[in-house]
Formats: sequence, C-alpha cells, structure tokens
Amino acid sequence: MSWLTSSQTIALLVLLFPAAGALVLAGRGWRLPRKFTVIVGPGAVWAAFICVVNLLLNRVNADFTYWTWIKSGSFEVPFNLLIDNLSLFMGLVITGVGGLIVTYSVGYMEHEDDASYARFFTYMDIFILSMLLLVLAGNFVFLIIGWALVGLSSYLLIGFWYQRHSAVVAARKAFVMNVIGDVGMILGTFVLFVQYKSVTFSGVFQGVSGCPPPQFLVGCFPSVHRGPDSLAVELAAFLLLVGAVAKSAQLPLHTWLPDAMEGPTPVSALIHAATMVTAGVYLVARMHPIYDVATYAHGAVAITGAVTALLAATIAIVQVDIKRVLAYSTMSQIGYMFLAVGLGAYSAGMFHLLSHAFFKALLFLAAGNVIHAMKDEQDMRKFGGLWNDMRPTSITFLIGSLSLVGVIPFVGFFSKEQILGAAFSKPGDSAALILWGVGALTAVITGFYSGRMWWLSFWGKPSPDRPVEHPHAPRLVMMVPVGILAVLATVGGFIQTRALGVGPSIVSDFLDKVVTPQRWEENGAGIGVGIATMVLGAGLFWWARSLRPWSARFPWAQRLLEHKYYFDEIYDTVFVRPMDWVAGFALRDVEKPVIDGVVVDTGVLTRAGAAGLSVTQSGYFRNYVLVFVGGAVIAAVILIVKANS
Amino acid sequence: MSNLVIGGSTLDASWFLGLAAILFVLGTVGVLVRRNPLVILISIELMLNAANLALVTFSRQLQNYEGQLFALMSMTVAAAEAVVGLAILVDIFRTRDAEDIDDLSELKG
Repeated sequence: MSWLTSSQTIALLVLLFPAAGALVLAGRGWRLPRKFTVIVGPGAVWAAFICVVNLLLNRVNADFTYWTWIKSGSFEVPFNLLIDNLSLFMGLVITGVGGLIVTYSVGYMEHEDDASYARFFTYMDIFILSMLLLVLAGNFVFLIIGWALVGLSSYLLIGFWYQRHSAVVAARKAFVMNVIGDVGMILGTFVLFVQYKSVTFSGVFQGVSGCPPPQFLVGCFPSVHRGPDSLAVELAAFLLLVGAVAKSAQLPLHTWLPDAMEGPTPVSALIHAATMVTAGVYLVARMHPIYDVATYAHGAVAITGAVTALLAATIAIVQVDIKRVLAYSTMSQIGYMFLAVGLGAYSAGMFHLLSHAFFKALLFLAAGNVIHAMKDEQDMRKFGGLWNDMRPTSITFLIGSLSLVGVIPFVGFFSKEQILGAAFSKPGDSAALILWGVGALTAVITGFYSGRMWWLSFWGKPSPDRPVEHPHAPRLVMMVPVGILAVLATVGGFIQTRALGVGPSIVSDFLDKVVTPQRWEENGAGIGVGIATMVLGAGLFWWARSLRPWSARFPWAQRLLEHKYYFDEIYDTVFVRPMDWVAGFALRDVEKPVIDGVVVDTGVLTRAGAAGLSVTQSGYFRNYVLVFVGGAVIAAVILIVKANS
Repeated sequence: MSNLVIGGSTLDASWFLGLAAILFVLGTVGVLVRRNPLVILISIELMLNAANLALVTFSRQLQNYEGQLFALMSMTVAAAEAVVGLAILVDIFRTRDAEDIDDLSELKG
C-alpha cells in the first residue's frame, strides 16, 4: 500500500496486533491446544510493544490521518492517530507493563478450563486494543470509542467468573459508574464541537489556545488566551473531568474500584492499577490546552485528586482484604497524579503514572502469587509468616511496598516527591500549599497502611486459619514478570531524579515537548520537607509491625472507615432505593394494570367477537351458496326496482 | 319484445329467456340441495348453460355478435372449470374419508 508511509503502517499495526490476537482467540482459541493460546495472547501484546518501541526509536511525532470515517456537512470525523511523545509514553506503559502482566496470567489462570482460558486472553487483548485506541486517538470521537471500550473490557474482566454473583454485581456497578463518565465525555465533546466546529484534537486545541499550528499542542506562551468563549471551555473542561473522575475512580465516582477486585488478580494489576484507571490522568494531560485556559476546572482536578488521595488512604488502613488495600491505595496514588496534573505539573503526574504502573503492578502480581498459593484466600488476617514459605514473593512485595511509601531509592520516592515538591514550591499559589499538606499527610498514612499490610501478611507466626500449610512456590512464568517489575520499581527512579534537584530528568524532558512544561523548580525547603515526610512514612511502616490490635481505641473512627465514609450507603439511599421504588411502582401500578391490561383486554374482546362471528361459518358448502344466491337476488331486485323507477 | 325466427317458425324471445330462467333456477336448487359433489358440478354447468342461453338470446335479439362470442368464451371457461373441479374432487375422495360435500366442513368457525 503505497499511500501508507512505514511509520504510518507501524502506528496502525500497534492497534492491529491486539485486534488480530483477540479475533483469533475469540474464533478458534478454545478448540486449539492451550499452547496456542499461550503464544497468541501475550504475543499480540508484545508485538504491539515492539511496534511502539520502533515508533519511539524513529522519533515519530505526527498526526496520521488514514481515512474519513464520517462526513456530514461541517461535521467530519477522520480516523487519525496522534503519535507524539505523550501517546508513545502511554503506549509503552500499556504494552510493556501489559505484556508482563499478560505473560504472568499464563501461570495464574492455569486452573481454568480451556474455554475460559482462551476467553481470558481474548478479553485481555480486547482491553489492550481499546486502551491503545484511547491513547493513540487523534480526535474526540475515537477517544470516546476507546474510552467506552476499556469500560466494556473492564466489565467483561471483572465479571470473568460470572458464576459468582458478587462478581456479576461488581461488574455491573463498574459499568454503570463508567457510563456516567462516558456521558460526561460525550457532552464535553458536544460543547467543544459547537464552539470550535471540530472534533479533532488539532482543530479544538487550535481554537482553544489561539496558537498557530504546530504550537497549539504545547501552547504559545506567555500569552494564555482567554476569549469570550471561556465559559464554554470551562464547561467542557468540567464535563471531561466527569469522565476522568469516573474512569480513574476519584471521588465521588470511586465506589466501583474496590468492588472491581472481584476480577482475577492479573486483571486488577493491569486494568485497575496500571493502565485503565490512569486514563483520567492521561486525559487531563492530553487536554492540557483546555485545562491551561479553564482555570476553575483545572483547580477542581487538583482538589479532587488531593481529597481522594487522603480519603482512600484512610480507608485502606482498616481493610482486611489484601486486594482491597491495594485498590484503595491505587485510588490514593491516582489522586496524587490528579493533584500533579491539576497543578500544571503534567510531566510529574505522568512520571508518577509510570512509576505507579511499575510498583502497583508489582504489588498486585506478588499478591497474586500469595492468593494463588493460598487457594484464593484474600483475607490478610489468615496469612501470616509467609516470609519463611515464599521468600522471593515476600521480598518483591516489600520492594513494592517501600516504593509505594516512597522510600529512597525506590521509584515511588522520586515520582511522589516530585509531585509534592511541585505543590510545595508552586510560586504565588497558597492553595497549592494546602494541597501539599493533604498530600504529605497522605504519604505518611500510606506508610502506615503499607506497613500493616506487609507485616500482617508476611511476618509473624502463620495464622491458624491459613488455608494452606506449606504454600507452593509460584511458577517461573509468574515469577519472571514479578522479578522484572521489582527491578524496575527499584532502579526505575534513576531515570528522573529531578525531585532531589540533581541528576537526569528523562521523563520530563521527553514529555515537556508536548505538554505544558512545569515552569518552576522545587526549592530547597521542599526537598527537606519531602525527605522528612519520607522518614515519617517509613517510620510508620516500621511502627505498624508492633501495633495490634490496630484501631480498637477509636471505635467510631473504625466504623466510619470500615463503611468507607458511607458512600455506598448514601448512593444506595439516594439513587438505588428510589430507583428501585420507581421501578417497583411502574411494575405494580403501571405495567400490570395499564399496559398488560390493555393487551389482555384487547385479546379478550377479539376472542368474544370471533366467537359471535364464527356462528356464520358453518363449514357447509350450501350455506355459503345460499348466502351468495340471496345476495345476488337482493342485488337483482334493487337493480330492477331502480331501472323501473 | 320482438320475435325471433328459428328454423322457419317464429317464437317470442321471452320463451327463450323463460327457459334460461327455469334452467338457472334448477341449477341453483341443485347446488343448494344436493350433497353429491358430482351432481353439484353438473348443476353448476346447468347454470352456466342457462346464462349462455340468455346471452345468445339477447345477442340475436339485439343483432349484436358480442353476446354469442361471450357465450363461446364462457363455454371454454366452463370446460376448464369442469376439468379443475373434477381433478380436485377425485383427489379429495381418493385421499380423504368423505362420502359427500357435508363431510368437507372443517372450516367451520
């Protein structure tokens, strides 16, 4: 195909490999040997990874338009892929971390029968495809398509064990919550289209920033354009934020994420920690020309993030399910990312996205090793003493935990500290200082709940309730991805030590070419306070070892946290029960008497009428003839009388 | 009413029409009262022939050949109708246990 340049072809192949993998597995996977599934499922992801790396090495930075998808008057939707440093960065995270997790699933899902095994990898490939479409899309329509498709694949994978009622309910909840976000995205796109008559990123951003191409992507500083359209831009930014909040499980649309832990653990690692839930962060970074102009919405992003970070971290203190602790910690960490992009430190937020993908995927996969060995038990109180039985898993989990807490030299320190430092040092913004305080408090709490999780699961004496006396070691195919992620979580931070004011800052240099650069540096006081926060967090991590029972001293606080601030109860009272009541009313008093009544009465009436009329149909030939002749005689008489008169 | 000259003798047209009326009524009564399907078919032929007779009479009286031509056509149709009707009857009585037309009354309401 001569009209496709090679970079253009490779960009398309990034999407086509997972699509082909999903199609092949969906069509034939379960009839063919399991070895085939094992090769095709992760293979498709790794092939996409190679394509992304190829684009990266060729320094591709382009907006490829392949064809016009819809054209109706002034409304035109092209199929275009925006390949720039931001989408390639996300593509690397999705296919790289995704590839490791899908490979890990080969071992984790081994107990499934052949059909379910192939179904799992089909869904995984569909997810990778949707997520890549989301980040590579060059216009709002395909962004929304990818956005909705990741919601769908998340639904399919949460409900993977569809025989379990709780899994089905959790999947439905996640889907409904995500659709709220989809509606926000679609409405936001409507507003932008009405205002700027375009659905492509380039068209909209050009209109918003008022900069000539190609500067509209980075903005043409120092002139930040605020025209008469600023109200529409604010509205669009808030509507897009609804989408981001729902997808990234931020307050107040966060309740689906802890329930989503019903899915298999690799799913939790890939979708509900490393990639999909960070899509909201990507969205805000991608829409930075809009948020740079829409200052109120931009502030709302930061506040949402900070509040979510704190509340989720406090809830994590009292959870006993290891995956739920990780789920709340994910919410909390994504809160940091929202805080960063909300402050305008886009590359700091994206760096934390990368680092979080490393250490949270590591934590989930290591937890998966434990759950797999414990015959699907997830209650931490029933583990205990796994240090002696599962040494490599314990060590990798510890690396992940320390990275989550943000201890030097693990990757989490550099990324989290860059965010907190950016908040602390943002010039001329006293509100940012409050947000820093919330973030720092969260960091300290993170130390506590991570410590509680690790000591409870791996230290001490084995719990008498432990389901397995001598847990088996994880298979090699499961341990290798965990090991790679552990290495990344340990040394990954050295690609960007900007938080300490020295050393390289590869991620920021890479991303600042396409997002608004952070125009201030962390001051010395910020570094000092950051290290103090880290020491405090690490201290609490250590202190959690000797602290039990955990929170008997404040029963009201424990109750509040165990009920997760009563969000589920409030939503149940405000939305679910009234809806149930309305539905019940409609069923009892509208559907049955009115709609059913009309239908049934119509039937009864028709039947009675038919019974009356059927008397005339005797079935005897001569009766019909008699009627016919009688009619003819009457007609003849009328004719004769008329002719004679 | 004008007279018609037939074979040297002169007859009033109403005689022919009267004969046609009698034949038609006989045919109608036959269709109505008889149960044997074969007889019913014959009665229908009788009615058709009565109609033909009326057609020819009026044609002759009005000096217009259309009526005679139409009588020829109606004979053709009658022949076709007899063929189809007989074929159906033969088939019905071969495949079904029916003695007369009253046994074929499944379509009653």
